[in-house]
Formats: sequence, structure tokens, C-alpha cells
Amino acid sequence: MVKKIFKEIEEIQERDDEALDILKRRLVVVAVIVMIFTSLIVARLWYLQVNSGEEYKSLAFNNRVRIRQVAAPRGHIVDRNGKEIVTNRPSFNVVLIREDSHDIDDVLKRLAGVLHVDISELWKRIREAAGTPLYIPVVLKEDITWDTLAFLENHNQEFSGIRIEVVPVRVFHYGDLASHIIGYLGIINKKELAEADPEKYTGEDLIGKMGLEKLRENDLRGKKGSNSTEVNARGFEQKMLKSDDPISGKEIRLTLDVDLQQIAEGMMDQEEKSGAVVAMEVKTGRVLVAASAPKIHLDDFTGGISTENWNSLLENPKHPLINKVVQGTYPPGSTYKMVTALAGLATGAITESTVFNCPGHYQFGNRVYMCWKHSGHGAVDLRRAITESCDVYFYQLGQRVGVDVLAEYAHRLGLGEKTGVELEHEKSGLVPTRQWKLKQYKQKWQDGETLSIAIGQGFDLATPMQVNMMTATVANGGKVLLPQVVDSVRDTDGSIVEQFHPKLIRELTGLGRYLALIREGLTGVVNNDHGTAKGARIEGLTVAGKTGTAQVVKLAQYKGLKDENIPYKYRDHAWFTCFAPAEDPEIAITVLVEHGLHGGSESAPIAKAILQKYFEARLQAFAKEKEEKKIKTVPGGVRP
Amino acid sequence: MFRIDRRLFANFDWVLLLLLLLICGMAYFSLYSATYPPKPWGMPLYLKQCYLLLIGFSGFLFLISFDYQELLSWNYPMYGLIIILLVVAFYMGKSAGGAQRWINLGFMKLQPSEPAKLMLVITLASYYSRNEILDGYSLKDIGIPILLTIVPFVLIMLQPDLGTALMLGVIFVSMTVFVKLRLSTYAILSGMAAIVGAFGWIRVLKPYQKQRIETFFNPETDPMGHGYQILQSKIAVGSGEMFGKGYMKGTQGHLHFLPERHTDFAFSVWGEEWGFVGSVIFLAIYFFMLLWGLNVAISARDRFGMLLAYGIVMLVFWQAVINLMMILGFLPVVGIPLPLFSYGGSSLLTTLFGMGILMNVRMRRFQTSSAKE
Repeated sequence: MVKKIFKEIEEIQERDDEALDILKRRLVVVAVIVMIFTSLIVARLWYLQVNSGEEYKSLAFNNRVRIRQVAAPRGHIVDRNGKEIVTNRPSFNVVLIREDSHDIDDVLKRLAGVLHVDISELWKRIREAAGTPLYIPVVLKEDITWDTLAFLENHNQEFSGIRIEVVPVRVFHYGDLASHIIGYLGIINKKELAEADPEKYTGEDLIGKMGLEKLRENDLRGKKGSNSTEVNARGFEQKMLKSDDPISGKEIRLTLDVDLQQIAEGMMDQEEKSGAVVAMEVKTGRVLVAASAPKIHLDDFTGGISTENWNSLLENPKHPLINKVVQGTYPPGSTYKMVTALAGLATGAITESTVFNCPGHYQFGNRVYMCWKHSGHGAVDLRRAITESCDVYFYQLGQRVGVDVLAEYAHRLGLGEKTGVELEHEKSGLVPTRQWKLKQYKQKWQDGETLSIAIGQGFDLATPMQVNMMTATVANGGKVLLPQVVDSVRDTDGSIVEQFHPKLIRELTGLGRYLALIREGLTGVVNNDHGTAKGARIEGLTVAGKTGTAQVVKLAQYKGLKDENIPYKYRDHAWFTCFAPAEDPEIAITVLVEHGLHGGSESAPIAKAILQKYFEARLQAFAKEKEEKKIKTVPGGVRP
Repeated sequence: MFRIDRRLFANFDWVLLLLLLLICGMAYFSLYSATYPPKPWGMPLYLKQCYLLLIGFSGFLFLISFDYQELLSWNYPMYGLIIILLVVAFYMGKSAGGAQRWINLGFMKLQPSEPAKLMLVITLASYYSRNEILDGYSLKDIGIPILLTIVPFVLIMLQPDLGTALMLGVIFVSMTVFVKLRLSTYAILSGMAAIVGAFGWIRVLKPYQKQRIETFFNPETDPMGHGYQILQSKIAVGSGEMFGKGYMKGTQGHLHFLPERHTDFAFSVWGEEWGFVGSVIFLAIYFFMLLWGLNVAISARDRFGMLLAYGIVMLVFWQAVINLMMILGFLPVVGIPLPLFSYGGSSLLTTLFGMGILMNVRMRRFQTSSAKE
């Protein structure tokens, strides 16, 4: 019995030993595998350290020199008198070097308290950087205050891994002044990076995204400097080996006048108008005011606009993203009568004394075309027709010259083509011809349509800049000048790198006396008691101008309705374009108020305010003179 | 139970201890250089390492004081404890923004995924010694081991820590293949692994993890990003040449071009400062220790001891191979430390405890299983 048990135990042990022996044999195989891997690693070490050692040694030597780029301050943007519109200031950002940080929970907890942000915000920034190497800084908070900066600098030992980075940011001294013209910066995207000079731009750089910041990128952007330093622990520089100072960007001096621009924008904003204001020196083409309302908030775009903001801009019925100065196209309305008048005079279809009768309407074919004044103007000549904006006169005149001749003169005055001003995405507007309609609509031109064209409705489309250029051309006696917004590019020491001189696009020769006649009519618009823009009259200054109404829809259902009963989006646009002084014009101003209905009451006051500021000195002198005259005429010469 | 037999001292493996001390010593010197100058705040790492070594060797002594067979009755409760710790770490990490994998114990940050590796070795060794099948395990037989591996695997994957999770897979495969599977089981398992792998690549891997793997195969595309670490590591090791730049004189490490130079990339600093000769000496000692460990397995008195010793050696071996291959530019950056050499409390303690168990197996190689009863 006992023997049997012993035998069984022995058998079990034998079987166990056998099983263990199998495993032991496998362990020998494993030992071989371990040795194979060991030799593989040793072979790799031989390759790296002995075979390619020298190569890696030189790589390591070069590695000790860290080349750090130093951002160049971006050029300033100033107005024509050197008033600073956009400059730079340092922004202090809190960054985390994850590699150097201990006790990150604790540091972040305390940091959140110092920065007055929620700790989850900080974690979010860190999470977004997950996957990038740990020595690359993560920006935790931009643009901290001086107090916070001082606190962090004093307590830097308690915030391991936290550093302060200094980055220049744009400062807008006049808020969103001329926001569409100035534009904004953003982080360079892949497409821009691919097109850019790789020596000048790297991944995180800012680049102009809109306006002159974009168009003048090459001038505004300076040249980055670089510091070659031997770096030591924690990335601190040990020894400066070489230093190239950054070269500041160049200053862009605009032709704009901030005072005038402020008046224009202020008045548009005050009444929540949308539209555009343009003012130009008629003898040089230099733009004094280029305002598009509503403005955009440039600060919203700094560092990338939020989707929420962007969508609200897109959905805004007043289209703030459009620079209406050159991108808004509207029927020029009665301002177009300058074209029709010039075409009529130049082709001999009328003379200054030609008279048309206006009974308040004009029958053409089986359709009746109304004059805005339903009671009629009676017998009118050209001067009166312009002054009182008689539609019937221009229906008949338009019919005499025909659409193609109208188009020819419209083009000569600069309509239907881009003015070439240095602003983005300029529209060319539209000046229709017979051929154009055939091509566009595969339809013959209807003679009745010429009547609409003659008063600037129908297919006609023009930008405020074009209407302003046309006005300036009429004012200066036939010189079509390139509108310019940049006066000069200057170095930081003030020396001029590039100066922009007035540029004549073309001159309308032999039309001087016709233009003078049109100017007479335009002078009447403001100064005649029957004129349509009496509100723009200024004592001591002869203003000449033209109102205009751009029809938005021709829906019968809104005809005869009172203004306030027409839905906003169906109301007509209101033009007013003018120049002064009428005797020797210096400035031309064009105002378009979208859905403003009446140029005389809605648009003219803005132009008037700009004129009052522009001619401030002259008007003051006039007032003083008048005062003195009054004193002189007091009987008995007794001074009051 | 804790009575220590006198014969145990006679059987104490001084060679294993010497090898262990040599490696820890080299690691300590290298750590001092890699973290020099010490940071102006907090406890310097070389001092922390002293404490960690103290704790580690105390654990080592504790783990040789009882017969390793006791582990057979303790392994499931311990396994459960590790799983709980993993869950706790996951939720703590989640509340802290998902950027941490540890539990703060005050004096150190415990990464439960490190002891989880050792725990898996012990658990699988227990299972395979309890369920002995000599002519190969079928798929049904390894259902429980698969389950035991998958639970911590998923928890670590969620942290997310791809490298450590894959390490658990490597341990499972090493141990399961060792105890022999049926041929059909191999076929089915490899088919399943292919499907899971494809699914993982498409659905589970985070973009940065994919990017690391992609960068590895094409490092030039991203020299300042993920390729940077590998490139800098190769420069460090390569520039060490035959005899190295000398202790404390490595520029790559001291000028901070090497990221994570005292943790995952610790060996780069060694290679730079001691050159090919120093590296080979280190590797010779290190891999001799592993071979010695396999010898412990061969001499083990029973199946459990053998599986334990083998598993612990494999745990150290695969981590070392993966870490070194990463440092030398053979593998992508996966975040696996070089056991005993890379700084990291959890990893160091886990490895030293594993070594304690290895010593335990060694010391009791002559006892018979029945002697315990």
C-alpha cells in the first residue's frame, strides 16, 4: 500500500520533471533570442558611434548653437499729416514649457488664480498641444496686465515651467477707423505659406489678411533678426555668438485725413446708416475719406475671429464685411445725369439753350415714363434740368444720343471699369450697351431701356469710388486721375522710400466748356431755391453737387406708399455727390446711404459736415470778415 | 511563514545582487549628469532617486522573506487592487483634463500601469501553473488569460498610454507562447490580432499616436516635431564616438537638445558621455543580468517559479529592447522606459520588486514543493 503511494508520487514527479525539462529547453531558445537582440543593438551602436560618429559629432556641435528669430516690429500706418492710426505694443503672454514643469497640477491651480481664469481653460490649451514635443511652449494666456506680469516675474521660482514671452501686437489708435482700408493680421495659413518666401515666413507668423495690411505686406513687414546663441540648461542663452538686429517694417503714410474720416464714420454710425463716403482732392486724385459703414471691429479679428462672430458678420443685413467704397455697386441714379448731359453736349444732340417740355411724364411707345415731379417742370433747358433733376429732359436727351454713345461717355468718365485704387476686390460696376445685352441676355436692346439708363437706373451700376472719380473729373475740367490711398512709404527715420505722385489716367480734351456748363447746373442744385440739395448750402463756400436715388425694386405695391411704410430692404439708396468751391474746385465728396431714400436729407448733411471741416480756416476767415463788415456798417461808427 | 531558513542565506544569489547594484549605480551617475544643474526648486532628482532606491530595496528584501508559492494565493486580490488603482487613476486623470496617468501619493506619483505589468506576469504565471496542459493550450483554455490581459490593457489604453498598453500585450504573448499553444490556436489568434490591429489603427489610435508612428517611417517630414526626438537622440549617441565625451560633458544632454533625457531617453546621455566602449560595457552587464535571470528560471524548482522568473526577465527584456531600439532610431517614440536606468519611481520600484521575486525563486530552488506542506 505504502509502496504503491510512493510509486505514484514518483510517477507524478517524473512527469513533472519531464514537463519542466521541456520548458528548460525552451528557456535556452529564449536565451539565444536575447543574445541575438543584444548583438543587434551592439551592431547598431557600432554603426552610430564608430561608423558615423564623426558625422554626428559635427551635427551635435552645430546643435549647440540655437538660432532664435527676433520678430521685427511691423511698420506703422499714419494719416496724411503723420497722425498714427496703427502702431505696435508689446503683448506679454504666459507660456508653459511642459518639459520643465514639475507639479503641473499645483502650478496650474495657482496660475489660474493669478490669471483669474478657470483652470479648465488652461488644461484645454495644454490638451490642444498634445502630441507636440514637450520643449515647445504652450501659450496659456495672451496679453496679461502689468500687475500680473510683475507678480509672475517676482514669483517665477514658484511657477516651474512657466515663462513670459513678448510678442508685438497691433494697436489701433482710432479704434476701428477706416477698418476696411487698414485691414487686419492673422496667422499665416498653409496656402499663404506655400506662396511666401520661405526665408521670410515661418509657420506661426502673422501676415496681412485684409486691406492695406495685406496689400502692403511687403513694406509693412520688416526683416526678422536672429540671435545665434550657445544655449544651456533650460534653453537659457549662455553666450551670444552672433546677432542680426531685426529691421523694422516701413511706415505707410495714407492720403486719408483722420479728422475727415472720423466725421464721415461718426455720422454714418450715429444714425446706424450703412453705405459709403468717399472724398478726393480733385486736382491730385488723393483720397481724403474712404469710409464703409458699418465698420468691422478689427480687434475681433486679431488672432483669428471666432466662428460665432464671423457668422453674425455674415448674417448682418448691412453686410459689414463688404467694403462698400469699391465693392458696393448701386444704380448711380440721377448722378448719372452728368454723363447724359456731357454725351448730349459733346455729340451736339443739344446745346445749352435746347429746351424740352416736361409735363411730368413722357410717353414712349405704349409706356409712360414718369418724372419724379409729377406736376411737371414745364419748359426746361440743361441748367435747370440738372438743377431740378428733371427726368423728362434726360429721357428725351438719352433717346437722342442712344445707349451706346451714353456708354462711351460713361467710360470716359471712369464708369464701368475699375478705378485702379489700391483697395481689394474692386468691382467694375456696369455700363450697358446693345452688344452687352445681346451677349448677356441673348436679347435685343429695347429702346425704352435707354430712357432708364439716361437717368442712371436699370442696368447701370457704379461704386461710390467711381461716382466720386466722375464728380472729380467734372470738377477739375476733364482730368481723370487715379484715386490713391497711399501717399508714401517711409523708413523709420522718416526718409521717403517711395512717393506716390498724382497719376493722370486720361484727359477729356475739348470738353472743357461743356463740363463748365454742367458745373453751373450742379451749382444750382445746392444754391438755387429749386435745387434738390439746398441742405448742403454753406455760407461762404459755393458747393456744387447732385443728389441721386438708386432704385432697389420697382414693385408697384410700394408705389405711393409713405416712406416709413416701405420695408427697409426695399427702400431706395440715397446718393449725394458734390465738389467745392464751385469756382475752383478742390475736393469732391460722394455719399451713398443704403436704403436712405433721399439724397438731399440723408446723404448731403454728411458731405456738408466734411466740407465744413475741410474748409474750416476759410469759413472762419469768412465769418470774421463778415463780422467786421457788420461792425463797419453800424451807423455813426459807434462800436457796440 | 516568515521564518527564514538558514539555508536560504547559503543559497542567496550574490551575482544577481551585484549585477543589480552595478546597473543601479550606473543609472544613478547618469541621472546626476542628465539632470545637472539641479532645478532651483523642489527636491533634486538624484536625492529623490536615493529614497526610491531605499524603498525599492526594502521591498526587495521583503519579497525574498517568504516562499514565492504564497503568491499563488495572493495573486487575484492583488490583481483586483491594481485594477482599482487603474480605474482611480483614469478618473483622476479625467478630472484633471486627461493629461495625467498617476495617483498623487504625496511623496511620489504612482503610475498604476507600471505595477500592472508585473501583476500581469504574476497572474499569468499563476494561471498557467495551476492549469497545466502539456500538449498545447486551446483557444478555450486561454480565454481567462486573455480576459485578465484585456481589462488592464483597455484601462491603460484609455489613459491614453499606447506604449504601456502594448507592453501588456507583449507580456501576454511571451508567456502564452512559452507554455505552448495548439497550432490551430495560433492561426485563430493571429487572425484576430490582425483584425483588432486594423480596427485600432482606424478607430482607437489618437492622431498624435498615429503621427508618431508615421513620423518614424518618414522622419524628414517633420524634423522639428516628432522626428526631432529620435534625431536628437541619434545625434547624442552617435556623437559619443568610441570613447564618449566624458562624464558630465555631453553637450546634447546638458544643452537640452535631448527631450526627456533623464526618463525615456536616459541611455542617450550615457551613450553620449561614455561612447561605444561605455555603452557596450553597460549592455554587457545589463543583458548578462537578463541571461542570469533566465538561468534562475532554468534552475527553478517548479513550474510556477519557472514561469515567474521567465516572465519577469521577459518584462525587463522587452522594455529594454523597445527602449533601446527607440533611442537608436529603430522604433517610433512609444514611451517605454529602460528598466532600472530611466528615471521614474513607479517603473524603478516595479522592476526592483520583480527582481526580488526573481531572487526569491533563486533562493528556494532546492526546496521541494512538498516541504512547504
